[in-house]
Amino acid sequence: MKCTNSMKLGLPACAGIAFAILQLGITSDALAATCPEVTVADPKGVPAGKYPQQYEQAEFEQLAKCNLLFKENPDIADLNKRIRGNPDLPKVEERLPEEPLVVAPYESIGEYGGTFDMMSNATEAGTSDFLAVRHVNLVRYSDDLQTIVPNVAKGWEWNDDYTQLTFLLRKGHKWSDGHPFTAEDVKYWYDNLSLNPNIFEKPKNYVLVAGKPMTVDVIDPQTVRFTMPAPKPGLLVHFANSYAQGFQPKHFLSQWDPEFNLDADKRAKEMGFENGYEVISNYYGNSDWTDTPTPMLRSPDKVANMPKDTMPTLESHILISESTEGRHLVANPYFFQVDTAGNQLPYVSEQDEIFVNEDEVRLLKMVNAEVDFKAQSLQLSTAPLLLENQEKGNYTIHLRPEVTMATLGINMTHEDLEKRKVFSDVRFRQAMSVAINRDEINETAFFGMGEGKQYTGFTDSPPFVENKWSQYYAQYDPKMANDLLDQMGLKDCDGDGFRDLLNCEKLVINLQFSVQGVAAALMELVGQHWGAVGIQSTVKEVTPDEYRSAQSANKLDVTVWRNGQPLAIVLGTNQIWVPPYHDYFTQRTNMLWAEYIDSNGASGVKPPVYAYQMIDDITAFQSTPVGTPKSDELGARLVQLLVENLLFIGTVQVPAPIYHRNVVQNFVEYKTHSFEYYRSYPYRPTQWWLDE
Amino acid sequence: MFHFLQFAATRAALAVITLIMVSFIVFSLMELVPGDCAERYLAFKNTTGAQISVADIEAERVRLGLDKPYVVRWGTWIVNAFQGDFGDSCILRLNISQLLGEKFWISLVICLTSLLVAYLIAIPVGIISATSKSPVVNNSLRLVSYLGLAMPNFLLALMIMLFSTMVFGDSLTGLFSKEFRDAAWSYERFIDFISRAWLPIFILGWSATAFAIQTVRALMSDEVGKLYVLAAAARGVTGRRLLWRYPARHSLGPIINSLGFDLNRIFNELPIVALILTLTEAGALLIESLARSNDQQLAGAIIFLLTASIVGINFVTDIILALTDPRVRRSILG
Repeated sequence: MKCTNSMKLGLPACAGIAFAILQLGITSDALAATCPEVTVADPKGVPAGKYPQQYEQAEFEQLAKCNLLFKENPDIADLNKRIRGNPDLPKVEERLPEEPLVVAPYESIGEYGGTFDMMSNATEAGTSDFLAVRHVNLVRYSDDLQTIVPNVAKGWEWNDDYTQLTFLLRKGHKWSDGHPFTAEDVKYWYDNLSLNPNIFEKPKNYVLVAGKPMTVDVIDPQTVRFTMPAPKPGLLVHFANSYAQGFQPKHFLSQWDPEFNLDADKRAKEMGFENGYEVISNYYGNSDWTDTPTPMLRSPDKVANMPKDTMPTLESHILISESTEGRHLVANPYFFQVDTAGNQLPYVSEQDEIFVNEDEVRLLKMVNAEVDFKAQSLQLSTAPLLLENQEKGNYTIHLRPEVTMATLGINMTHEDLEKRKVFSDVRFRQAMSVAINRDEINETAFFGMGEGKQYTGFTDSPPFVENKWSQYYAQYDPKMANDLLDQMGLKDCDGDGFRDLLNCEKLVINLQFSVQGVAAALMELVGQHWGAVGIQSTVKEVTPDEYRSAQSANKLDVTVWRNGQPLAIVLGTNQIWVPPYHDYFTQRTNMLWAEYIDSNGASGVKPPVYAYQMIDDITAFQSTPVGTPKSDELGARLVQLLVENLLFIGTVQVPAPIYHRNVVQNFVEYKTHSFEYYRSYPYRPTQWWLDE
Repeated sequence: MFHFLQFAATRAALAVITLIMVSFIVFSLMELVPGDCAERYLAFKNTTGAQISVADIEAERVRLGLDKPYVVRWGTWIVNAFQGDFGDSCILRLNISQLLGEKFWISLVICLTSLLVAYLIAIPVGIISATSKSPVVNNSLRLVSYLGLAMPNFLLALMIMLFSTMVFGDSLTGLFSKEFRDAAWSYERFIDFISRAWLPIFILGWSATAFAIQTVRALMSDEVGKLYVLAAAARGVTGRRLLWRYPARHSLGPIINSLGFDLNRIFNELPIVALILTLTEAGALLIESLARSNDQQLAGAIIFLLTASIVGINFVTDIILALTDPRVRRSILG
């Protein structure tokens, strides 16, 4: 019997068990029934299950020939008291599902306790890094970024033509307030939130298939089926890598929905709100983004009258306080995962997040080891300082490739018609692309560790992407740029050394950016390179919030952010191929094309033929099994149309640092530095523990 | 007494008029920021899948009352502002009064404490420096105050943070420690606040002290040589008694008068220091909303509150002056 690796309060517990064994005279055969502490590093002879690094309970007990005994965080009752509105806790066996997910930790069975410290930029800015640490969804990408494995759902099934996806849920799975989680919660999320015009004015792209809604059917409390109007093999991928969780607490939110509760509006008014939907909006934020302000921040004057500070969750931790300074969370006492020793996860008792919007101060705090983990907003330029202080700060830096790169989208639907005329000319975009000296940017801003490229959409270069596209107009050729601009007739009318618009009005390109999207040094150099071919620009850094609202309000000359998705992601979402070519949080361009399509031509600017072709192609591409000649043909045409028209101009693809303090145990080196698989989610932060 | 009441009433009326004029300027500045609240608000609604069309923006303008004439909107804004209601922030979409709440008071406390510390040090030191004949005292005081004047506050803040990081392993950022960040005010929270607020108070106080020493010293030097001081000395008044009762009393008048101005200067320096120290008070919010997020509603509210504080302090100092100096209260308009 091994006591060293057990819980914080493990020693007396171990002694107690040993004592009980002596008392009852249990033989060594019964001891064999205790499960081996299987880890990824040392499987203790237990074979792998159906999926890597995790088991279903019955599967594990059969393979390891043992019975799991469940244990809990010794502080869990106190943590639960801090969740306002949560009743007292039943025993751990009753809180866990009847079939919990058994997780094999990477290195060691953890110790409970501690506070995991994080920092984000501001409320709703730069927070996905932290959100992903507590995130759960129906399924998950394993750390090989290829295998999809069970998570909230214990299994799934496709029909033959990929039009029906059925998820099996866990019997006895509970929300963080102890209420059962069932297939109804999935249907509620889809029917009553996602497709409800009172919540979302327009359904999000990811809840539609070929532009049409799906049907969600509850087969039984643990079985839910998505039926699609067209094949979409990527739907499963979506539930693996998206921040959008395919379920919401029906028992909690529906009490303010007039469709479910006739008293909804009346109760809302009693709490000081206009109607029930306003209460739902306070809890749900009318967004699947799990970071929208809770009533604690949105309605501090009313929250005391509301039954809970935040809505119940299935995630590993739940919010207990929130302000403009930061947030604090405690472990979810009903979390559905256990380790191979039967300890309920998460190991980490509390999480704390502070908002720091200054890069330099963030850096100082990391060097000073004041946070436990950070990847988002960390760019290669900070690597030397961070690497230099690794030992002193007792932390580790991994440099991992990004799957995105900074791209520039020249706004072809600019409000200023003279600018629009110039920006819509493909020669202008070609000239701007070859005017950029990517090698110099790589050497100056990225220590020569990056690679200059054109943007092709698919960042993992699947086989159907011809090599020529990644270098298309990506060479440094200022003479060609000047020739192209001369051909266009962009002359220097006023003799100030810079080219002017065709009507001789001044042309100054406003390069607004946020360092969350791109490195400042890169933007400075792009501004200089464009200046060298006579295109004047001003470079200005703004907050992510400001950048995003300006971008979506069509106020930018050039949009700049990190861009690109691997094939696996494109199968699930068409966003980067359809105007405005991505969502609010990332890079968009040509906003008025999107408005034209959405308003059926009533307003906006009519997109060119190739934009329509791309919309048709991506829809067909998503419905076609990957690797078939038809799929390759569609993929190749998508890339060709995107690159030939230079909807986005590529720059330099670089690696970026991932920071973690050495006290964070069971931390595995990430494959990529990226948002695309939802940051830390594939690397299982629920089994991290703090060795302090 | 009649003169004093008349004086106080006139000053109060003038203060309100000043505030209204300032509010007009602030409101006009808010209007000059490109893009209005409707656009920013709708940009957020985009996150819920809505596509913004020009018609939507127009509808939102009507909803927010942005289509009404300029003067009408200013009127509504000022009437609400005097009642403490500044509407919603464009970007954060939170009620500004709730958002600012204690933050503004925290900023004011930091600034006023810096000011208090500055004058507690500057008045005696300034007087000594003006009257001392010792070159060592004079030169060392001059050195300290020049350093305070010449060294940018943010640099001082960064230096102290770096020093503290290297020596104590604490970067000294934030206004509260984790446990007290969201707690209600209590004695413990106040102590926690003091244990962190001393740094911004010290940083802001140093340059303010340097400035104040220079002022006190210059005013004292002017007065010390005057005939009435000499006459008093001739009558046998000496030492501290002489300084306090004659030249110091005269020199302090202009200082009391400039307290409002000093507060403004300190508040101007606060945002930079606050950003570096990640203090989440009104100064940091002001620079965020002005320089980064262009949140004109929030910035306008903070500037208005600040000017209101300065006008308020000027009013109080006028009253104090009138109480101490009969010549002032007779002049009515000061």
